[in-house]
Amino acid sequence: MTSAQSPPNYSSRRFRPSGGHRTREASRVRRPAPTTSAAPSASSSERPAPAYTPRKDVVLDVQDLKTYFFTYDGVLRALEGINLQARAGETTGVVGETGCGKSVTAFSIARLIGDPGRVMSGRIYLNGANLLWGLEREARFKKIPGTGRVKVMRSFRRIRSANERMAAVRGRGVSMIFQEPGQAMNPVFSIADQLGEALLLHSGVEVVEGLLRADALARGSGGGFSSTEFVPEAPEDPDHPGQVEVVPSGPLTDIDRMLQAAASGSQTDLRAATDVVAKEAGLASLSPELFYMLRDAGAQALQRRERVLRVLRRRQLTGMQQSSIRHQRRLILLQRALNDLYLKEMKLGKSQLAARSRIAFRMRIERMRHFYFGLWGIKRVAQRPIKNELFWRTVVLLEGVRIANPVQVARGYPHELSGGMLQRAMIAMALSCEPALLLADEPTTALDVTIQAQILELMRQLRDRVGTAIVLITHDLGVVAEVCNRVNVMYAGLIIESGPVHELFRRPLHPYTQGLLASIPRFDQPDKELASIPGSVPNLIHPPPGCRFHPRCPYAMPICKEVRPLPQLEGEDHMVACHLYTAPAATPPETAPAPSAPLPTAPA
Amino acid sequence: MLTYVIRRLLLIIPVLIGVVTITFILFASLPISEQLLADIGPPGKGAPCGYNPSCTCSVLDPNSVNHVKDTCKCIDPPTVTTPQGICRNPAYYADIHKLGLDRPLPEQWATFVYHAFVFQWGYVSNYSSIASAEQTIAGKPVATVLTWFLPYTIELALLSLAFILVIAIPLGNAAAVNRNRPIDQIARVMSFSGFAIPAFLLGSLLVTGVVLLLLPHTGISVRTPWCPGGEALDHEFTYSWPSNSACYSNLVFPYSYPLWMKTGIQTSPTGFPTVDAVLHGQYWLALDSVIRMLLPALVIAYGTVAGLLRFVRNSMLEVMNLDYIRTARAKGLPEKVVTSKHAGRNSLNVTITVLGLTFAGFIGGFPVVEEVFHINGVGETIALAVVQPLDYGIIFGSTILFTFLIVAANIIVDVLYAYLDPRVRLG
Amino acid sequence: MTIPPSGAAKPPRAVVYRRHPRLDQAKRTWYFFRRNTLALVGLGILAGIGIIAAYSATLPLPWTSIPVYCATDYGPGDTQTGYPGPYVPVASCPLTVCTYETTPPPNANEYCKGAWYKTPVVVYTNSSNTSYISYAGALGPTLTLSPFSVGPMPLGGLTTDLGAETPLYNVAGALARGSDWSLMLSLSIVGFGAMTGLFVGAIAGFYGGIIDDVLMRLVDVFLSIPVILFVIVMVTALGQLIPVHGTSGAYLKLLLLIAGFVIIWWPFYARLVRGQVLVVREQKYVEAARASGASKGRTLLRHIIPNSMYPIFIQFSLDVGTIPLLIGALVFLGFGPEMFPAVPFPEWGAITALSVEDLTVDMLGSCYNGPCIICWWQLLFPGLALFFFGISVNLLSDGIRDALDPRLRR
Repeated sequence: MTSAQSPPNYSSRRFRPSGGHRTREASRVRRPAPTTSAAPSASSSERPAPAYTPRKDVVLDVQDLKTYFFTYDGVLRALEGINLQARAGETTGVVGETGCGKSVTAFSIARLIGDPGRVMSGRIYLNGANLLWGLEREARFKKIPGTGRVKVMRSFRRIRSANERMAAVRGRGVSMIFQEPGQAMNPVFSIADQLGEALLLHSGVEVVEGLLRADALARGSGGGFSSTEFVPEAPEDPDHPGQVEVVPSGPLTDIDRMLQAAASGSQTDLRAATDVVAKEAGLASLSPELFYMLRDAGAQALQRRERVLRVLRRRQLTGMQQSSIRHQRRLILLQRALNDLYLKEMKLGKSQLAARSRIAFRMRIERMRHFYFGLWGIKRVAQRPIKNELFWRTVVLLEGVRIANPVQVARGYPHELSGGMLQRAMIAMALSCEPALLLADEPTTALDVTIQAQILELMRQLRDRVGTAIVLITHDLGVVAEVCNRVNVMYAGLIIESGPVHELFRRPLHPYTQGLLASIPRFDQPDKELASIPGSVPNLIHPPPGCRFHPRCPYAMPICKEVRPLPQLEGEDHMVACHLYTAPAATPPETAPAPSAPLPTAPA
Repeated sequence: MLTYVIRRLLLIIPVLIGVVTITFILFASLPISEQLLADIGPPGKGAPCGYNPSCTCSVLDPNSVNHVKDTCKCIDPPTVTTPQGICRNPAYYADIHKLGLDRPLPEQWATFVYHAFVFQWGYVSNYSSIASAEQTIAGKPVATVLTWFLPYTIELALLSLAFILVIAIPLGNAAAVNRNRPIDQIARVMSFSGFAIPAFLLGSLLVTGVVLLLLPHTGISVRTPWCPGGEALDHEFTYSWPSNSACYSNLVFPYSYPLWMKTGIQTSPTGFPTVDAVLHGQYWLALDSVIRMLLPALVIAYGTVAGLLRFVRNSMLEVMNLDYIRTARAKGLPEKVVTSKHAGRNSLNVTITVLGLTFAGFIGGFPVVEEVFHINGVGETIALAVVQPLDYGIIFGSTILFTFLIVAANIIVDVLYAYLDPRVRLG
Repeated sequence: MTIPPSGAAKPPRAVVYRRHPRLDQAKRTWYFFRRNTLALVGLGILAGIGIIAAYSATLPLPWTSIPVYCATDYGPGDTQTGYPGPYVPVASCPLTVCTYETTPPPNANEYCKGAWYKTPVVVYTNSSNTSYISYAGALGPTLTLSPFSVGPMPLGGLTTDLGAETPLYNVAGALARGSDWSLMLSLSIVGFGAMTGLFVGAIAGFYGGIIDDVLMRLVDVFLSIPVILFVIVMVTALGQLIPVHGTSGAYLKLLLLIAGFVIIWWPFYARLVRGQVLVVREQKYVEAARASGASKGRTLLRHIIPNSMYPIFIQFSLDVGTIPLLIGALVFLGFGPEMFPAVPFPEWGAITALSVEDLTVDMLGSCYNGPCIICWWQLLFPGLALFFFGISVNLLSDGIRDALDPRLRR
């Protein structure tokens, strides 16, 4: 496409990342076109990147991801060429010691790496969309001579647009759970507020349309609520002449049945009855509201009819609320279209600026209308049905993650909850939008073991139900053995071994993995000394040359000090990066190693 | 929440007592004559002259008329050296005894504290400079006099607070989010220059600058919509920028509101000039009153914003690095929502706290600004009261008043903080 | 070829002498500070002011004493020197204001010359023994003589009686001497305040409990009192107790002023330090120190206080710039002679305040009756001095904060 130009002088002070129409012709520098998925880039890893053929069930495909942190002490090479896959419906584990770069991997995928770090290169495909599109143009680098430091010159505008692009993906495509549940929620907003935010963002249309439908049902057909007690005694609404407060009539069935179920004290019956009432009303979130309202009433449930009717009537919207909700629906649809456009950009690798600006223009107009509409103080009143709806949907979500008293929890604040409950709420928030990929960054490290078991069980059930791909990052091999389908072992910024979990545990190939498995204490061998891998994690600013593990490796060979081992396939699905397993042609015969000790057998 | 408020209210009582104690220490170190002047005011009719610090005659004249400076021929000091020897002035000692100024200090302290809390802060002395400048306040109780001036100060304070909040918070947030970009440099310049230019300098420069712009060299006559006659002004005009509105005819202090709207300094019915103008239907007057306060409010706001902006920026920077912001981004919220809703709400906590802390400085800057712009509020009263001869009643009374205001502001800030941050409500 | 047993295949480790970690931290802080251009500018300006302040005392800047060449038999309007006036009658020339050179110089034209730090002044005595002082170059910067003699700047008005008021001096000289005052007052006030605040805050934060409550109430008490009012009240009220008059009395009043400021200033620091101590107290190294046997006092002194001092540096540098402004505000309110009765005080804030008063008064008087004569230099140069002082300390404090902040990721 472009002829070979001399590379631009990055060290020159006049060099700026060129920005659109404002760059003058004289200082415009022709750069090579951004690397598309087909063309190999010279600066990537030693292995030539194959042309990308998306596999059917691979949700996440990380190719050759590099992330560096530019600190005072030098360039910290946190990730040096990571390759990772995650398949739908499966849990992929990433294991490693502290400081090996596991969390950085997750943040790089979600593109939450901030100053002073930077994702340098690579490709991250999420269902075919390259999340790292446009990466090269975002920053320039300049070596400071004399020291090991590198100065990063970031283009603010490009990074901001990259964030906007990622905001389209996050939540629906990629969702994340973090390590410290106590810090991860905003302390000034209630749980319902925060979960409701996520719901509104991603399933806002369903919420809004559900409200409108319920309202239409209540006003229109008159067949929404079946109870003879619904007598149209309510007078005409003085503000809206002609609109009677619709109280539909029908045979006495569901409401009374529901009240009887409540009085009988059986929760399953009550549940079923409220579900029926909610279905007829057209709103799924009515069920928990009625359920929790009537659950503790006991024998006095039969007197709760008035309150039930009030709850039902509350689903009807005034005209103001209707128009406000329609505004909001329009905005949500526009936002959704914008997000789809961003995804298309990332899939095709081409900027869809024209279509985006059209949508942005329409959004601006809608927002202006919404703003002026809300200036009269109407907005708060008009938002109440939505808030109500979101609250009860949040309750449903919290029920789904097995929180005992979801109404109280939803009304409460994060500081009132324990770590386990908070982590469940976080999982609820992350999975509420049914993402394609869930990144779990050491979700149970801060919790104790019993809670850990429950959380992992929860994650497994949700994964089976929703079908997301989970990338579970942890340092606990037990967790990995329990939950994961596939394991990647990381060391010092590289993935050194990767394979199905049983295969890996049965036949660990890399010496590091062997060392890890050998260092698990075992009950049945009490006399044996606890084995440990000698040495400590290398300094990532000055990593050891060649294989990064060689200072601690019992099988180190001279070649390990010089050449970094490439990942090799051993078995159908087992990948290992070690010179012990490189093809015989690569190693001279006289230095073929003879292991000093037989490979330890991993615990079955 | 209610228990929190009640606890806060209970906790300020020792603070108030402490402040009044400090004021008492300073008051008790004054010479007795000054204390008498401040506490008892001018002696009643027929009584011997009292406590005039500039009256140094040495003859006891029982027939002289009281509290008129020129005819005062009485003696002030407690003793008189007469040819018969040293005599003690009985009235002087009677008053001292009446006021309890010869009681032991703890008892004096107790009465002082009691009087401070029931708003009996003494009387305006007859002989001070402020009493000479404005005759109507001489001899009146200090608390009453201050209530006449307080509404002007409160209006100015509210306007300044509005400016401060509107300028500092959005600018600080924007400066933190766009670090090292133009908006950050602007914010930096504002905060530096606000610190480096004193309020009196800025105010005087603005006044002189505006006057030089508006003032031709010879006689000025201003027509205003609410006072079509327009008086020929003399140089008093320059003190009250930008207009001399409201048809004052006499250059008496205070001069800014028509006599049919007020009696003395206070306007009727509420005492707040803008509100009263609106209540009387004089909308131009209300507008003028607000315009009159715009420039001083800007000067005050500029100085306070300088300190506040830094804190807003820092707290926003701190908040933006926290975990829950990362969670909000990971949810897929647009960056603007993350910045304004999540980060903004949390950095507001620190901002409100700092605002409460800077309130003391905010209030303390009022004397200077009010004097430069001639807003007749409590600050100007203080500024006039510290000119020799000093009026201790007003000085101490206004100290206590300002302190009460600051404590009240701190309580409001604490309650607001508890409202904004649910973690605090537990205790 | 035998494989060496595990653990021996380590690269040879050179012997490394590691520096003290605090030294490394200091080097790092200085590196970040150096990268910040504005902070360096602030530091430079402040250093310049400091140098001027240090040398101002030793330079012969007789701003309080003006060599007045008293000449006899020259009346006003005398054509010998050709100076047209204005003349100011002076009742007497008190010794504190000017010194007389009794032997008149041989050349009359010498009278009008001055050096860069001296203001050219001539005193005439006519036959009726009334002395007049004339200002050479009264109404504009005398650029011909030297760029530094920007004209006389009386601390009074142009038309005031010289003998009764404070002395004439040269703006440049006054600013140079004033740097001394500003720096000394600011540093002493803020220094004492910071030390007291550090002490009180550390004790309150460390011991907690009832001590904390009591001390924090005390802090609240002092935080609720506005600065200017308190200083006015304190200097007036307690100043009356000082029986000594004259110079030593004046210095005592100055001490009272400093004490007044310090009393109001320490609560800010106490609150800052207490907040930081509450955080530092929970750190692991404090626990480790206590566990290894350090007494409470030792942990307080060696572990907690050095780590809680970081907000003090920032606040310190900010406050140093604010003090001259406050003193200026005090003088502006008419409080100057109260605070500085006999000791000459070219303090920057004070000069600015007085010249502001002069400006408005003069301008009104002069602008009304003719062409506007404004001694703009009276206001500009002291204002600029304050401005640069304030800006430099602010830039410095910003630079320190950015360099020390652990939250800014580097």
